[in-house]
Order: sequence, then structure tokens, then C-alpha cells
Amino acid sequence: MGANHGVLATVHGVALVGLEPYRVTVEASLASGLPTLRLVGLPDAAVREAGDRVKTGLQRSGFVWPGERLVVNLAPADLPKVGTAFDLPLAIAVLIATGQVPRSAIGTWACGEVGLDGSIRAVPGLLPITAGARGFGAGRLFVPDVAAREAALVSDIEVVPVHDLAEVGRVLHGARPRVAEPAAIATPGPGPDLAEVRGQHLARRAVEIAAAGGHHLLLSGPPGCGKTMLAHRLHGLLPMLEVPAAMEVAAVHSLAGERAPDAPLSLVPPMREPHHTVSSAGLIGGGSGVPRPGELPLAHHGLLLMDELLETPRFVLDALRQPLERGSVIITRARARVTYPARVQLVAATNPCPCGELGNPTRSCSCRPDAIERYRARLSGPLLDRLDLQVEVWPVERDQLVGPPDGESTVVVARRVAEVRHRAAERWGSGVLSRDVPAATLRRSVRGAALRALASDLEQLGASARGFDRCLRVARTLADLAGDDVVDVEHVQEAVAYRLSSPVMAT
Amino acid sequence: MSGGRGWDLLVEGCTTVAAPGTDAELLARVVAWAVRPRRSLEAIRRSCRDAGATLLRAETAAIRDVVADHVDADDAAAATPLVQMWAAAGVRAALVGDATYPVRLAEGWPETDGPTLLAWRGAAVPDVPTVAIVGARRATGYGTAVAAWLSEAAAAAGAHVVSGGAVGVDAAAHAAAVELPGGTTVVLGCGHGVAYPRPHARPGGLFDRVIDHGGTLASELLPQEPPHAGQVRARNRIVAGLADVVVVVEGGERSGALLTAGAAAERGRTVLAVPGDVRADGSVAPHRLLSEGVAPCTGPPDLLQALGGPRRGETVARGVAAGGLSTLPDDVHALLAARWPRPVRIDELARTTARAVGPLLAAVTRARVAGELADGPEGVRLRRAPG
Repeated sequence: MGANHGVLATVHGVALVGLEPYRVTVEASLASGLPTLRLVGLPDAAVREAGDRVKTGLQRSGFVWPGERLVVNLAPADLPKVGTAFDLPLAIAVLIATGQVPRSAIGTWACGEVGLDGSIRAVPGLLPITAGARGFGAGRLFVPDVAAREAALVSDIEVVPVHDLAEVGRVLHGARPRVAEPAAIATPGPGPDLAEVRGQHLARRAVEIAAAGGHHLLLSGPPGCGKTMLAHRLHGLLPMLEVPAAMEVAAVHSLAGERAPDAPLSLVPPMREPHHTVSSAGLIGGGSGVPRPGELPLAHHGLLLMDELLETPRFVLDALRQPLERGSVIITRARARVTYPARVQLVAATNPCPCGELGNPTRSCSCRPDAIERYRARLSGPLLDRLDLQVEVWPVERDQLVGPPDGESTVVVARRVAEVRHRAAERWGSGVLSRDVPAATLRRSVRGAALRALASDLEQLGASARGFDRCLRVARTLADLAGDDVVDVEHVQEAVAYRLSSPVMAT
Repeated sequence: MSGGRGWDLLVEGCTTVAAPGTDAELLARVVAWAVRPRRSLEAIRRSCRDAGATLLRAETAAIRDVVADHVDADDAAAATPLVQMWAAAGVRAALVGDATYPVRLAEGWPETDGPTLLAWRGAAVPDVPTVAIVGARRATGYGTAVAAWLSEAAAAAGAHVVSGGAVGVDAAAHAAAVELPGGTTVVLGCGHGVAYPRPHARPGGLFDRVIDHGGTLASELLPQEPPHAGQVRARNRIVAGLADVVVVVEGGERSGALLTAGAAAERGRTVLAVPGDVRADGSVAPHRLLSEGVAPCTGPPDLLQALGGPRRGETVARGVAAGGLSTLPDDVHALLAARWPRPVRIDELARTTARAVGPLLAAVTRARVAGELADGPEGVRLRRAPG
């Protein structure tokens, strides 16, 4: 072993700050002194414990732990390193420094947690880590074999699944590595069908528009009238994700530990339903050190269903605003500033008033008028402006429930939705939805008469000018649904109607 | 609306106005004392009684000396600082026996228990045929629609509409009459210095509209007196006192509308009740009145007949005639007319007329912009009675 004194072993790993990968080089060198391990380079608790795990794991796998002082540096030193993903790079670096594997192993890329028995365990975020390693020019990457199928989704990099440290040693000595099959692409079964919804003509129309234009939707109605059911039908109308988008979704879910490492890649847009008592950290993301993604990033490219929206604390609602506008969340902490993608379609459900009976013709609402006003006021301002479609939902009458299905099925409507999205993509570029198009751009495809009609209608109805852009966005989608390239007066007039009526006085 | 500080000054004025040592000074202090902690006329009455003065004399003197003596005085120099402060808030006042005190309230005073003092903003209460349209705050769309319908017809025919200024039926009645020849009076359940109910009292709200269009806000209470449940009965006796006919539109089992009807019956005024949906909680009060022999009010003709026939011409407000002038498709208009004054949900309109929701909504928007349709939490309805 003495002959190997002076070998500087370098092995690479990837640290994630949010979804952004950073190259971490694990350097190990033997030095004279007592047989201790000195770990430097801003490690967190889990990384500091890596030494103990790796030492035991190596010994139990038939390797020798050096009888000299071992110095390990995680570079760059100013980057916070979190979690157990550096166990495997550390173990390989020790093997190189102690000459137990050939020097050719220097420069290896690896990622994984080491167990005391020497087995390699999965770590969160393997997908973005693998993609990062490829970006840094890694030719091959050692990954835990339980999660290898996830990593193998990344093309142009050789993913080497390893079960334990002994297998790592064999591969580094030149044994032929196993090949990881990329995870299958899931073919989703049919979800709940729109044809099962009875009545609810207005809400069905709103759901179709929301799906076609990606508009944020507000459903207001008493408990049990089918708001959640409609939201699930809306989810079923969304087109399948393209593979790159599905990879983004899988990356966030992998990082949050929300994804089974051997799960197939799902093309179904995610749908998240946080409880209304969710904290702003739960919604956006949070946690000590490097913040983890919350419900918003987890709903990236999909639906976020906020039930009982008005029961959610005001400051949590406010936290929704910026992400909805920007399509991403930015979390700033002492040690890191993290950006997660969050292109989310919000479906909000709420009671019309605190007791839920406002507008019921046969049961009177027991709320004081000022209580209703205060309740609604929680939704006022910028967040309300983002909710392009606002509709009232009512329980279906009995005779409609027992009758035959009276509406189109998901398949039929989804075809129209896909068509509209296709038209929008042709007009504005791939992936751009009506909800995201700036007002100035929108106006170019609106007939002058429609603009004038919208302005005068809103004034006549006492609506604020803030609703102007909201109506334009919806009208754009309505025109697309009708197959018209130019937004006309008729579309604008319909768009104006997707707005909740005044709670206090029917005028 | 004057805020708290102005009214505090007013209270202070009570103690500075009257010459020391006089009867008036004693009474001024009584009023000042009463206004500050309890703020109610009841407190004044009690303290006057305690001071040994006869109720009527003491109360009248107290209010006349410190509050209302020079309310209508042309001589600005003679006006006390107190009255100036009151006038600055746009409030005028009259005592029983003053020329400006409403004749109807004075009839048979004090046996009819009218207020000693009536303070008002806007025009004086007119002496014309008057209808009180009262009902529940938690009104259904049907209730507000009927209230607006009756009120509009009465006000268009030149009758004055009185109500309590609460949300729901009261507000619908006021709002429908505010711009019409008959005009409307709101009898507040609180002092003029209190902004209640808030949605109506805010700038540009219902109360401002009432004053801007020559209507009246009236109250018997001292400026800072807050609204509370005990005041409802007192307020409703004024509503009843001002009216020739009282119409109860909707109300629950313990509705204040029943109190108004009772007060009107005591004065020998006509009471009418609007039949409601038998399933709705808000139909209890009118149905009880009907069962006790009150005449039903099934539309403007019943009301106008009770008022003794329309005053100005024969014109009862007519909506957009069916067909022809309506901006709505015929079948949609027909359904809304058949349901009138009950609102219809968009879902039901779409299902019954077998129309697609999109074009239907566009048509509804056009009709709303044209002022033909009203839109509420229960659906849409024609604004005016179908022809």
C-alpha cells in the first residue's frame, strides 16, 4: 500500500441546488498520521456520516480500510452538499487512493448511498443528477441499480447499475457492466369520463375552455356539488406530455422523493391536491439547507387543485401569485437560492359564502352580508385577475341524475382541446397557451369591434378594467374552439360571462 | 358621512351651548351625559325622569335647546355651534310640532309612539302616498326581484317608497325606486354618524345614491348610536308610521318585517303580504300574515289599488315587451318570462332551450349590457316584469 502514497484520487459526483446540477469533485489522499478520516468542504450532517457508512460498507465488502490518515475534500468547498449521494464517489475515491482499484478509475462519475453491508441505495433526484452529469461531459455514471431505469431515461450517457460495493470493484477492475434499460413509458388507463357528469352545462363548457387554453379556473358552489369531480375531468382532458416535459416532471418528483425509483415514466400531467391548511412552505417548497420542492413545482406541467380556496390563509394565497405569473418558484435561503419550474394550471374551488348556501333558492344563506363580503374579499386583487374563468356550480337535480348521460365524453372533448392547443402552438410557438400570451400580443388577433365591445360591456356591467385582459385571454381560446383565427364580438361577450356575480345585491 | 371626531365635538357642544344655571344647562348636561356613554334617547328619557322633569317637556326642551332649536334658522349668527356642526354633516332635524316634522308621524302623537326627534339627510320626507316595502335581509333572488318590481311600479306611479335600508329586500326596494319620480326614504337603525350597513354606507353606495337623487335618510337616534337588535322594533315603527301601505315581501319566523306589519296595523294602515315559495324559510312571515287575514299582494296592481290608484298618469313601469324589442332569443326570453320574477340558472336555460352554453352566455351578456337582464348568485332574471 505504501507504494500508493501520493496518489490523489478524484471522483466526480453531482450536487443539486434545486434542479440545477453542480459538479462536485471528491478528492481523497492518504497522509501520514493516525488512522482517521478528515472530511472537508462544507458537508452537511448526512455527508459527514458518509465516512462511517463507507468505512463499514467497504470492510464488509471485502475491502481494506487504510491504516493511515485519510483526507477527503469535497470541492468546490463553498457549495453546500446535502444528503447521501456522495457516499459512492467517496467510497470509489478511497478505493483509488488505497490502490484497491486501478488508477484508471480516476475521473469516474458516481452517485449513490452506501449501506453498512456495502449495498448501494437509491437517492432522491437521480434523474436530474444523471442529466447534470451528462451536461458536465460524463461518459458513464455509476448509479444504484434499483433506480437505474430512472437514470437510464437520460440518453447519451452510459448508466452503470451497481448493486453493491463489490460489484463496483469488479466493474472498475474491468468486468463488463450490466446494462440499464430505460424506464418504460407508462400508458395510462382511461380516467374518470366527462360523460359521467350529468347536467352542469356551464361548468362543462368552462372545463373545456380551461383545458384548451390552460386557463386558471375558479369553481364556486356549495359542498358536494361536484367541484372536485369536475376538476378531475379537467385533468382527463389535458393532452399527454411530450417526453422532455415528462422528464422535467419526473425530475422534480424524483428530487422530492415523490417518485418510486423504478416507476415508469408517466406522460400524464401531474395533478396535486394540497389540503387547504397547506403552509406556504408546503406549497412553494422549503426545508432547511437547500429547500425541497413544494406542491406548486410538483404540479409543474399539470394541475394544482386548491379546494376550499377561501379557507386557505391569505398569505398562502399571496404566495401563489408570483409563481402563477412567472411559471417558476424562487426560494431564497441563507445557503442557497433555488428555482423550481412551476408552469401550473390552477383549479380553485370554493364555497360561495361561509355557510355555502348563498344563491340556493330553497335554503337561505345564514351568513351576514358583511361576512360574505369579507370572505370574498380574500380572493380580491391580483390572484382573482389570474383566475380567467370563474363559474358557479350547483348540485344537479335528481331527475337529471337518474337520466341518461347528456353530454359529450372525454374522448370527444379532448380531441377539440388538442386541436386548440395545436392552433395556439402554431400561432405563438410550441407549448404557449392562451393564458400565457401577453395582452399586447393577444390584441393583434382581436377584431377592433370586439375590443370596443369588451371595453363598453365591462364598463356597463360595472366590472373593473382589470378584467379586460382576463376576458381577452378567454375570448382567444373561445375563438380557437370555434375554429376562428380572429376574436370576434361574440367570443368576447361569452368571455365576459365567466365571472362570479356580486354577492351582496343582485342587480 | 362625518367621522367620529366631528361627532365628539358635537357632544362637547352640548355642554358649552346653554347658559350656566339655567334649566337648559341642566338638560344640556343630561344630554351630554346620555350621549357619551349610552348614546340613546332612552337614556335621555330616563335621566330626565330621574331629574324630575316631565318626560315630554324635558325631552323636548333638552333636544330643542341643545340640538335642534335653530336647525332651520335662516339667521346664521343665531345658530349655535352645535347646530352648525350638525348642519356641516348635512343633517337636519325636527321635533314633534315643528313644521318640518313629517305629518304622518305626528298624527296621534304621542299615543302612536312616534319619535320625539327626527334627524335626516337629503330632502325632507315628502307628504305623498307612501308604501313601505320590507322583508328579510337574507332574501332569495325571488324576494329581491319582487321587492324591486313592486317598488319600481309604485315609484314610477309617483308613490314614495320607504324601507329600513338593510341589505336584501330593503335594499332592492330602495334601489328600484331611487331614480323614479316617487323617490325613496331610508329609515336608519343607527345614528347618522355610524356607517351601517357598510356596503350601503360607503361612498358611492346605495345611501349616497338615495341622497343624490333627492331621497332621504332618516333616523331618530343620536349621531353615534350604533345599530343593535333592540333598535329594530323602534326603527320599524317609524317605517310603518311613514307609510300608507306596508308590503311584507319575505321574512323568517322572527322577522322584523312582522314588527313593521304589527306597527302598521296598530295605526290602522293597510298591510299586504307577498306569497312566497312554500319550501323557503323566508316565506314564513308573509304566509303567517296571509293566514291571519292580510290581503295578498300579487303584483303592482294590488299595491297601487291599496295606495288609492296611481297619482301621476297611468304609467306602470313596463319591461321590454316580449319579442321584438328583446335582445334575447325568443325561446330564452319566453322561459325567463315564464319564470319571472324567479331567477333561472344558465344550466337550466341551456337544458330547457337546448342551446349551446357558449352562444347562450354571449346572448346573456348582450342582454345584461342592454339592461334587460339582472344577474345574481341564483341565476339571471328579467329586470322588468314581462309585458
